[in-house]
Amino acid sequence: MFKRKNKRKRDLFDVISNVVVFLFALLSLFPLYWLITSSLKNSAAVVKMPPDWFPKTFNIDNYIEVFSNQPALKWALNSITVSLVSTIALIIVSSLAAYAFSKLQFKGKNIIFILFISSLMVPKEVLIVPLYRIVDNLEMVNTLHGMIWPNVATAFGVFLLKGFFDSIPDSLRESAKMDGASELRTFFKIMLPLVKPGIGALFILYFVQVWNDYVWQLVIGQEEGVKTLMVGTATLMQDLNPNFAYKMAGATVAAIPLLVIFVFFQRYFTSGLTSGAEKG
Amino acid sequence: MKKNHHALKRNLTGYLFITPQLFFFCLFLVYPIFEGIRLSLYKINYQGMSFIGFDNYIALFNDPVFIKSTVNTIIFVIVIVALTVVFSLFVASAIFDKNARYVSFIRGSYYIPVMVSMVVMSMIWSFLLNPANGLIPFVARELEFPVVNFLGDKNLVLPVVIFVTFATNVGQAIILYIAAMIGVPKELFEAAEIDGANRRQVIFKILIPSVKPITLYIVIINIIAVLKIFVVIQLLTGGGPNNASTTLMYFLYNNAFKYNQLGIASAVGVIMFTIALLLSIPQLRSMFKK
Repeated sequence: MFKRKNKRKRDLFDVISNVVVFLFALLSLFPLYWLITSSLKNSAAVVKMPPDWFPKTFNIDNYIEVFSNQPALKWALNSITVSLVSTIALIIVSSLAAYAFSKLQFKGKNIIFILFISSLMVPKEVLIVPLYRIVDNLEMVNTLHGMIWPNVATAFGVFLLKGFFDSIPDSLRESAKMDGASELRTFFKIMLPLVKPGIGALFILYFVQVWNDYVWQLVIGQEEGVKTLMVGTATLMQDLNPNFAYKMAGATVAAIPLLVIFVFFQRYFTSGLTSGAEKG
Repeated sequence: MKKNHHALKRNLTGYLFITPQLFFFCLFLVYPIFEGIRLSLYKINYQGMSFIGFDNYIALFNDPVFIKSTVNTIIFVIVIVALTVVFSLFVASAIFDKNARYVSFIRGSYYIPVMVSMVVMSMIWSFLLNPANGLIPFVARELEFPVVNFLGDKNLVLPVVIFVTFATNVGQAIILYIAAMIGVPKELFEAAEIDGANRRQVIFKILIPSVKPITLYIVIINIIAVLKIFVVIQLLTGGGPNNASTTLMYFLYNNAFKYNQLGIASAVGVIMFTIALLLSIPQLRSMFKK
C-alpha cells in the first residue's frame, strides 16, 4: 500500500503508530524478561529495591532447588504424556471424521456436523461438575487417563481439518476408487499425506492448548504423582518458601518448553490459527 | 435392490469413519451437558441427592456473591473483548505492510505471553504486583502514587485483572488480523491512493471493513475465553478483596470443589453454557451460510 515513492515522506500517523506498537511489544516481553532474570538472582537480590535490572549473578541454585525439592521432572513428564497422547488421539479420530464430513456421503451428515461445530462454542470448563462425575465413575480420577480422554471429545480437530480435506479435488479420490482401493486405503495412502500441513497445525495448536489447560488438570490430578507441570508450578506460588527467585525458577521451567516450541514452529501457529478462522 | 445395498454400504462407511470421534464427543461432551442439567435440579451432598426442582437457581439469584460474579464476568467480557479488538486492529493495521522480519518480531512479542500460558503469566504478575517487594508497587511508591497494593484495593483490582488478561490474550487476535490484512487485495489500496486518501483513511475506510469476518470470529472466541476466566483470579486475587474480583467460573469451581455444592455448581454451569450458546449464534449463523 505504501510504495517506494512514499518512502521519503512517511505518513506521520504511520510513524507514530509504529513507535507505539514497538514500545508496547517491548513492554509485552518485559514480564518474561523479568521472570527469567529474577529466577537467576539469589533470594536477597530478587526482592532488592531499586532492583538490579540485569542480574549480577547467574545463580542456578533456584533451578537445582526446584528439581530437587519438587518432583518437577515427574510433573514435566506427566505434562508431556498428557499433551502428547491427547493430541495424537485427537488427530487420529478427527482426521477420520473430518474426511468423512468432507468427502463421504451418508445420512444425517449435515445434522451431525452442525452439532459438532456448535459444540465448539461451549467451553469444557462449564461442564466440569458432570464431567468430573463421569470420570469418577470410570475410576479415572487421579490418573493421567482422566486428564487425557475428555480432551479427545472436542470438535476442534474436525473443524480445523475439514477445510484442508475440502481443498483436495474429488477427482483424486475417485481415481483411487477406480483403481479398486478401499475407502480406508484411499484415506491413509492418498488423502492423509495431502493434509499434512493441517495435521501439523492441529498438532502444535492442540498440544499447547492441553499443556496450558490448567483447570481440568487441577481437578483431576490432586495426588502428587499425577500432577502436571502447570498445576505443580502453580502450587509453588502457595509454597511457604519466601524466596521469590525460587518461585520464578519454577515458572520458568513451566514456560521454557513452550517458548522453544514457539521459536521452532511459529509458522504453524500462524497457519493453524488462520485456517481455523477462514475454513471450517 | 442393488441400489439400496449400495446406499447402505455408503452410509455405513461414513458412520464408521466418524464413530471414534462421535464416541468421545457423546461420552465427554453431549452426555455431560444433559447430566449437568439434571444435576442442577438436585440437592447433592455426601449423604446423597434429592430432587429440588429449580431451587438451586432460585438460591443463586438470591446470592449476592453469585450476582457479583455475574456482574464481574460481564464487565470482564465487555471491556477485555473491546480492548482486544481495538488494540489488535491498531497493531495489525500499523505493521501488516511492513517488512516480513519486523512483522514477525512484533507478532512474536505479542504472542509469546499467549504461549507461555495464563498460569505462568499470573505467577509473574503476582510477583510484579507483590505489595512488599514487587517492582510495580516500588515504582508506585517512587512516583508517590496513593495506592501501592493494587490487588488489595477493591476499586483497582478489576482494572488490574482486565489489564493482565488483556495483555496475555491479545497476541492471538493480532496474529489473526495480520494474516487477514495481508490477504486483502492490494488493488483496493492503490485505487484509494490514487483518489488521494491518506493512510488513516485507507485503514478506516477499506482495511477494517475488509476484515470484518475475522473481527466477528475474534469477538466470539474472546467472549468464550473471557467467560470462563479463572486462572488469573485463582492465582492473582483469589477472588478478593472481599469477593470484589470473583467470576462465574471461580464461583463454580469453589462451589464444586471447595464447598461441595455440586447442585449449585451444576446450575452455574448450565447458566454459563446457555450464555455461551446464545452469544455464539451470530458466528454459527455466518459459518453455516457458507
